[in-house]
Amino acid sequence: MDKERVPLFGKWSYWYALVIGFLVVCMAVFYFLTKHFS
Amino acid sequence: MSPIDWIVLVLTLGGIIAYGLYKGRSTKDLDGYFLSNRSVPWYMVLLGIMGTQASAVTFLSAPGQAYTDGMRFVQYYFGLPLAMVVLCITFVPVFHRLKVYTAYEFLERRFDLKTRTLTSFLFLVQRGLSTGISISAPSIILSSLLGWDIVWTNIVMGGLVIVYTVSGGARAVAYTQQLQMIIIFAGMTIAGYIVVHQLPKGVGLTDILHIGGKAGKLNIITTGFEHRGGGGAASGGHGGFDWNDRYNLLSGVIGGFFLALSYFGTDQSQVGRYLTARSLTESRLGLLMNGLVKIPMQFLILLLGVMVFAFYQFHKEPIFFNQTQVRLLEHSKYKDSLAVLSGRYDAMEAQRIATLRTADSTGAVWPYAIVDPALVDSHLVALDREKAGYKATVKRWLDDKTVDGDSNDTNYIFLRFVTDYLPAGLIGLLIAVIFLAAWGSIAATLNSLSSCTIVDFHKRFARSKLSDQQEYKLSQLYTLLWGVFCVAVAQLAYRLGNSLIEAVNVLGSLFYGVILGIFLVAFYRKKTGGQAVFISAVITETGVIVLNVLSRKGIVPLSFLWFNVVGAIGVVLLSELLQLAMKKKT
Repeated sequence: MDKERVPLFGKWSYWYALVIGFLVVCMAVFYFLTKHFS
Repeated sequence: MSPIDWIVLVLTLGGIIAYGLYKGRSTKDLDGYFLSNRSVPWYMVLLGIMGTQASAVTFLSAPGQAYTDGMRFVQYYFGLPLAMVVLCITFVPVFHRLKVYTAYEFLERRFDLKTRTLTSFLFLVQRGLSTGISISAPSIILSSLLGWDIVWTNIVMGGLVIVYTVSGGARAVAYTQQLQMIIIFAGMTIAGYIVVHQLPKGVGLTDILHIGGKAGKLNIITTGFEHRGGGGAASGGHGGFDWNDRYNLLSGVIGGFFLALSYFGTDQSQVGRYLTARSLTESRLGLLMNGLVKIPMQFLILLLGVMVFAFYQFHKEPIFFNQTQVRLLEHSKYKDSLAVLSGRYDAMEAQRIATLRTADSTGAVWPYAIVDPALVDSHLVALDREKAGYKATVKRWLDDKTVDGDSNDTNYIFLRFVTDYLPAGLIGLLIAVIFLAAWGSIAATLNSLSSCTIVDFHKRFARSKLSDQQEYKLSQLYTLLWGVFCVAVAQLAYRLGNSLIEAVNVLGSLFYGVILGIFLVAFYRKKTGGQAVFISAVITETGVIVLNVLSRKGIVPLSFLWFNVVGAIGVVLLSELLQLAMKKKT
């Protein structure tokens, strides 16, 4: 269906993993900030 | 506002209108008017998506929200990146393959005409009304703080954007949104820099975080199991899960996911943005980038609220941020009591600030967290309690039926800081930021309302075929009519006051879940037919509306974010059962 090249990683699944991984990192950082500055 | 602020404001707004007219001048047909000839690169898709989602209220309300309730509002966006991934896998490829103008066109191909028409109608009703409210909400705040006439503020907020949206369509919307977002980010960055710059020497960003943390404003992660008040994940807490708590990890991830999936996947104002992309790849990239940048962006906007909170630890905080409401009290039976209270409040604030500024024996100014703990425990905490008591009294007076005021000043905090402490020129720029944020969102919505009206209704039900020129002219006319409708709704809606902002969110949640449910069945339940999904949608929509009434009366303790989940799952399950029943009958 999508015959164009996937930029940077070659596969869309890597992009999806990046987005979800970044969300997890954000949550972890926010949890640390909440704990540290409470 | 000073003359220089007016010059900055008029030049910025005028520049955007001129830029929109210039960029949209080549648009001459339906493809150009609604899809920008499918020529937009991913970064413009990204800015378009962000500009459509971020309304004026985002920039006015979010800092105030952090100031009063802490930063836990950021959790509202936790489901968004997950929704972006699902959209890229499922929705977007189908929309591109079918080369649709509106998301609802797909529903006719998958189900039938009545399902398409119902879904498009629900979108038009919900979006038309909520856009009117979105115009009114920032207009009330600006007119209240700056003394502007509300009718004219509504007209400027919602009326001027019609000029370039009618003229240039999606292309004008895309290019102006790009410029608007750049100006908005620049304005907010400058505001943040000035907050830090105006803090006493020696107080930096880390100290701001300590101040915010000590005051419970850094409650970024909350589990929903804390007792009411949301003290943050670190606070422990007790009791069961609070289903009425709007912003916590669970409601953010699950409720936020359904809301984002519905908003970005089925709301034409968003679908229309990524359909303008030059390819499927560019659409996907724009959406995935949105999944990456949205949470940090919202975090920074909320952090600005914490910065303003820290600022007011060293400067006199108004007893109530909405000056119009204070004036209301000055003309009420509380006039004398207010004068006495204000005198005491001013003296207490002077004492509190003096104590804080001289807290350190070396002469340096230290924030709460590292100041002498004994001093914090005894003196400052007592003064803070006293201050909270004064503020609560003012709110109680405003809630009195004889005053009939608005006791919520959350949305006035940031703009009051801007008008009181920012230098001339920058006030104009920040007011322009509010207008531009509103325009970005309204322009995209008007374009989408027009596209649904012409594609899903006029063209679909017209007896004779329209020429390209007729379609283009009619599209412009519908954009104009929707613009006038939204401004008219805004003129009526301002009487509701600050509850408008909540009304926008609740209104969206009433319809989004059901619309999403229809699309989920379309994509994932291949054997379910149009009849089953149509009946399910009507029943579930009625159920969600009843649920909202029960929730507002306190009979069912459920936050509005969960309506999206109920609506979506309701349609999926009910249509499944109906399909089974129909199959057995035949």
